[in-house]
Amino acid sequence: MGEETTPLLTVDNLTIEIAGANVVDGVSFTVARGEVLALVGESGCGKSLTSYAMLGLLPPAARRIAGRILLEGTDLAAMSERQLRKARGKDISIIFQEPSASLDPLTTVGSQIASAFRQHHAVSGTEAFARARDMLVAVGIPDADHRLHQYPFELSGGMCQRIMIAIALICGPRVLVADEPTTALDVTIQAQILDLMKQLVATSGTSIVFITHDMGVVADIADHVAVMYAGRIAEIAPVRDLFARPAHPYTALLLASVPRLDITPKANLATIEGSVPFPNEFGYGCRFASRCPLATDRCRAEQPPLFEQGGGHRSACWHINRVHELKENAA
Amino acid sequence: MSAPENVLEIRNVAVHFQGRAGLFGRSAHTVKAVNGVDLDILKGETVALVGESGCGKSTLSNTIVGLQPPTTGSIRLGEDEVVGATGRALNDIRRKVQMIFQDPALSLDPRFKIGAAIAEPLQVRGIARGKALKQRVSELLVQVGLRYEHADRYPHQLSGGQRQRVVIARALALEPALVVCDEPVSALDVSVRAQILNLLVALQKRTGVSYLFVSHDLAVVRHICDRVVVMYLGRFVEIADRDTFFANPKHPYAKALMAAVPEADPERQRNKEGNKERYILSGELPSPSNIPSGCAFHTRCPLATDICTRDRPELTPRADGALVACHHA
Ligand SMILES: Nc1ncnc2c1ncn2[C@@H]1O[C@H](COP(=O)(O)OP(=O)(O)OP(=O)(O)O)[C@@H](O)[C@H]1O
Ligand SMILES: Nc1ncnc2c1ncn2[C@@H]1O[C@H](COP(=O)(O)OP(=O)(O)OP(=O)(O)O)[C@@H](O)[C@H]1O
Ligand code: SF4
Ligand SMILES: [Mg+2]
Ligand SMILES: [Mg+2]
Repeated sequence: MGEETTPLLTVDNLTIEIAGANVVDGVSFTVARGEVLALVGESGCGKSLTSYAMLGLLPPAARRIAGRILLEGTDLAAMSERQLRKARGKDISIIFQEPSASLDPLTTVGSQIASAFRQHHAVSGTEAFARARDMLVAVGIPDADHRLHQYPFELSGGMCQRIMIAIALICGPRVLVADEPTTALDVTIQAQILDLMKQLVATSGTSIVFITHDMGVVADIADHVAVMYAGRIAEIAPVRDLFARPAHPYTALLLASVPRLDITPKANLATIEGSVPFPNEFGYGCRFASRCPLATDRCRAEQPPLFEQGGGHRSACWHINRVHELKENAA
Repeated sequence: MSAPENVLEIRNVAVHFQGRAGLFGRSAHTVKAVNGVDLDILKGETVALVGESGCGKSTLSNTIVGLQPPTTGSIRLGEDEVVGATGRALNDIRRKVQMIFQDPALSLDPRFKIGAAIAEPLQVRGIARGKALKQRVSELLVQVGLRYEHADRYPHQLSGGQRQRVVIARALALEPALVVCDEPVSALDVSVRAQILNLLVALQKRTGVSYLFVSHDLAVVRHICDRVVVMYLGRFVEIADRDTFFANPKHPYAKALMAAVPEADPERQRNKEGNKERYILSGELPSPSNIPSGCAFHTRCPLATDICTRDRPELTPRADGALVACHHA
């Protein structure tokens, strides 16, 4: 069917400038209905800015200088603040990186969830509270009637994160942007939250843009993966393809640097020498060139476009056919 | 003299924090952060300490390096008793054991240049001065993969991974027998993490130093350690050699941890799904000021029965050498 191929969300050439540098530079990706796209990359590569831009919530220092955010054809980036407020929560929701910073410490969690519902629904307080209670049950918080009347400080980190998810989902958004929703949690609690999110995708068809830097989490939850490096998409691929056949040197080295079952303990892990360039050092070529073992003069001079590898696997590298050498060296 | 040699012997160590007294003179609750643990670490061995947030890993680490006095128990470093040591004796002990913290930004004073930070422990103890000091600092920098030029920089002029290298150089300055590493790579990016892990392994090969390595990342633990200790609410619930542990974890909590850690491999991760179901824990870690009766894990344990709510299981040896504290595992 023709309609099946229209993505629910399209981010097209998103470019964000801070202090004269494009800290997010020409980022494009699409997310289908009910799909999880993982956005990965090291600290400072622009994951959070990309996610804020999707909801029109950029910090004052940052300016979107190009790009469209199409939700079923409607450009969120072209909306007024008033229109955006209507869209947030109902069409697209976000869970922020720091849960403690985004819950109001002086309001009970029940009121916070209920008021998120009333943003978009003209219902009585009682009705909204009933919805909030249902939502607490849905996100797996036991003893909901009691919890509704508690304050954030009375709940554990894992429960606060569930409250955030409840707030983000109560108006049934089509897209959920989750910025490192489990990074601060223990692994057993992380496993609960990941299962909850998978269940939500399966039952409601919500699409998720899931930001993380944990390759294990990516392997667990993602359908597609976009790897960012220094503000650009380095590689984007279906999850199994990315792990089995990385087509960008950065991805290949990143995967080889993670300790795995099939590596002899205490053997040397692959490393990426050097560090991520600062925005004022970006230059004209491939932003990975200063650390890339395959880099040539062309890499330093000319920015590689995203080359299609087939099956939706794309990589921005001039030497894709040599990437396998890195994998072999590391093993 | 008995070989192999223990660098650390912990016996029955408990660390309890007295909470503030409640209203109306109700008795203060006690936080039992560490609740009676025994552990030996051999020369050149790496022991990993794993468990959820709040189970007492940092408290035990701080106690071992002498930053936190234990409520009861004994801690021996070689010939010396740490508990109750003062003055010169304590000073000598501190030389033998060093600590690396999670956040390199917090363990370096932003006002001191890197060279001064590394030189400090050597100067304080009058181990080296002048040219010899400079020489030693330079050696240490090279040992952790930095260059002498880095000595002239301030911490903020280095990346996170470079700062953690400086912290490691500083910890090694006094040639300790044991380095307690409390989540040394958790705050670092994946690509940098590998560099630091490689460095820790290489340094151990060269100097024979022992590590107590605190981490919640089981992939990292499997990579770096020789033995695994699993902690739950202040007690050890399983102790086993690396290969034994990863082939066959026995305590239900150890199994749950293993099932919960996502593997960086979509095929394997999704294949274990069915298996995992059984071991996704419901509920959260109870408070260490109100530890459940019997087996502290019984409130979340899929195997729990009556006896678990009454009797606390002791660590007992199993056929493959693992020590496990569980009535049913
Ligand atoms: N408010 C701000 N003012 C100035 N610079 C900023 C601001 N927010 C982000 N930046 C810069 O923009 C770049 C991208 O930041 P962003 O927060 O998107 O990274 P990230 O990928 O989310 O990193 P992390 O994994 O650490 O959360 C970084 O270089 C960062 O220093
Ligand atoms: N100085 C203190 N006073 C009172 N309680 C404390 C003190 N230090 C630690 N605790 C408590 O002791 C328990 C164990 O804390 P600890 O920091 O050792 O845990 P941890 O295993 O290192 O956790 P994490 O993985 O979060 O670092 C916690 O409940 C903590 O709140
Ligand atoms: S384009 Fe060149 S520098 Fe960039 S990743 Fe590919 S090989 Fe490395
Ligand atoms: Mg971020
Ligand atoms: Mg700790």
